[in-house]
Amino acid sequence: MAATGVQFIPLLMVLGMFLLFIISGLGSKMRQASDYGFSGSYSGRVGSGAAIASNWMSAASILGLAGLFYLKGYYAMAFVIGWTGGYVLLLVLMATQIRRFGKFTAPDFVGFRYESTIARTVVALISIVISVIYCVAQFRGIALLVSWLFGLKYKEAVLTGAALLVIFVVISGTLGVIRNQRLQYFVLIIAFVLPLMYINRKLGYFWVLPQFGYGEAITTLQEQFGFFWSEPFASISLFQWLALCFTLMFGTAGLPHVLSRFYLAPSMRDARWGVVWGLFFISLIYWSAPAYGVLARLFDARAGNTFKLPDPATADLVTLTAVTQAGLPVWVTGLLVAGGMAAAFYAAAGLLQSGAAAFAYDIYPRFISPGASDSDKVNVAKGVFLVLACIVMVFSLNQVGLIAEIAAVAFALAGNTIFPAFLLGIWWSRTNEAGVLAGMLTGVLITVSSLLLGDLVPLVKVIFPLTSSAFIGAPVVMLVMIAVSLATRPPSDEMVAFLIRDVHDTGGK
Amino acid sequence: MSDTGTKRNINIFRPLPGTMRDEVQVIALLLIACLLAVVGTQVAIWILEESLDGFWLTELIFFNLPIHFWISGQFLPLLFIVLGLVFNLWMDRHELRRMEGTIRFRAQGRKKGEVP
Repeated sequence: MAATGVQFIPLLMVLGMFLLFIISGLGSKMRQASDYGFSGSYSGRVGSGAAIASNWMSAASILGLAGLFYLKGYYAMAFVIGWTGGYVLLLVLMATQIRRFGKFTAPDFVGFRYESTIARTVVALISIVISVIYCVAQFRGIALLVSWLFGLKYKEAVLTGAALLVIFVVISGTLGVIRNQRLQYFVLIIAFVLPLMYINRKLGYFWVLPQFGYGEAITTLQEQFGFFWSEPFASISLFQWLALCFTLMFGTAGLPHVLSRFYLAPSMRDARWGVVWGLFFISLIYWSAPAYGVLARLFDARAGNTFKLPDPATADLVTLTAVTQAGLPVWVTGLLVAGGMAAAFYAAAGLLQSGAAAFAYDIYPRFISPGASDSDKVNVAKGVFLVLACIVMVFSLNQVGLIAEIAAVAFALAGNTIFPAFLLGIWWSRTNEAGVLAGMLTGVLITVSSLLLGDLVPLVKVIFPLTSSAFIGAPVVMLVMIAVSLATRPPSDEMVAFLIRDVHDTGGK
Repeated sequence: MSDTGTKRNINIFRPLPGTMRDEVQVIALLLIACLLAVVGTQVAIWILEESLDGFWLTELIFFNLPIHFWISGQFLPLLFIVLGLVFNLWMDRHELRRMEGTIRFRAQGRKKGEVP
């Protein structure tokens, strides 16, 4: 999408939305959750679900998914099913048990469960790498939006976006702004769905539920332009599609910042119900995202480009393209851009902060400065935040792929390492330190195997594709963990007793 | 470690008798349902694509959408929510039953006239 100078009204709307979040964040220091429209114990679960959904929202959800639908059609459904199905795994296998463990981060959990400082450090390092990869996807989203807002070229937009992000984090940190995730979710969902309703209404489709209304665009594409969506597995085999889908599922259940949500739930019951509400709120976005891709295709067809091969470099901006091509009022465009910016900014800031915290609290005091005070760790975290932001910025300067595909690599790494470590750590008390270390190292190798060995052994690319390696990879890692654990000393009796007594519902026996 | 002297472990394939076994059975049922739904629907869509040049994928319309868009884009996320709802309702009842059992056990263990 060509940049044509500064877009003043959308820019004001972006600034207004961030101001709203900062003011509400300052206010929430003194307020209770019930002040935001919910009350009683019921509010805890709905609010917790909104917080889970807000925590999940990123450039991949708001921009990337629609871009993938536009570019690759049905292939993108693997993301919808993978990202939502992962929450079922989290709910039934992990949410309650993680809450019972009472540890606040993934390194905390692994370090405690496996009674191992080394395992804790390895998870901290993996968490940092996941944060960086996922953040590259967010930076791409930020850069595309900044490019459109200010009329900049892509590389200039990356630098500007990075500077704005650091300024935003510094201001938020200095003012002591607390992230009001519930309010954020409801603003973001309005920013995403309202323009879609507007487009459907303008086209004369069923606009009340645009998640269904866009079906008429598919019919129009077929009947008027001869464009059919009848080959879902034309660009990808059934195996590849399922591999991607299950990788995203395992990755969702292994992302450190997603797992951290359950430690914060007030009770086990709230943790469980929060997941279901969160899944509902996330589904509202994913029920809507395909519509943007399909509508953008319709506008292409109306412009005489029915079978034009979409440009991958601009596909990630397709939500914005659809809104502008529909000729909607500029404030609607501004609302969508503001929503996209907020999602990408908060996701990037959160990921960089969690990566910095993993270094400052899990690596720095153990290997670099054992006597570090709390204020030292805070200062190190600030420095590492800047270093990570610079690393991400450098990686983002080259357009390495689509937002959703870059994010998928982070999911594959999480699915191959942290997911098996948590799953077996909770459900098999025999897993020990040696097992989890061997498993996680195998997981890292599997994730990068297609890059390292793909050209030498083509089969590796088929079994462990870069974005879809956890489908086969996670079970292989679990087998390695089981074999190594059985061959080495079992965990302490105290840990087994803790799992039986405090983590699992064994009736207190 | 164990009242009976035999070493006890947590193993999802051999859950401890009682409440954990019930919970694992429900988890297994839900995961199997989830797996069958995801794999089954995609195999069905693949078969529809392969037969009659995808004729049915353009002709079968559900809620305004071609059937494969509806199944994967709308139905499966909805099914996941319903599965989550079922799991939570079962867990709520399960926890309530366990709590009632514990209270009854304590009440029976108390001597007559003893104040709790």
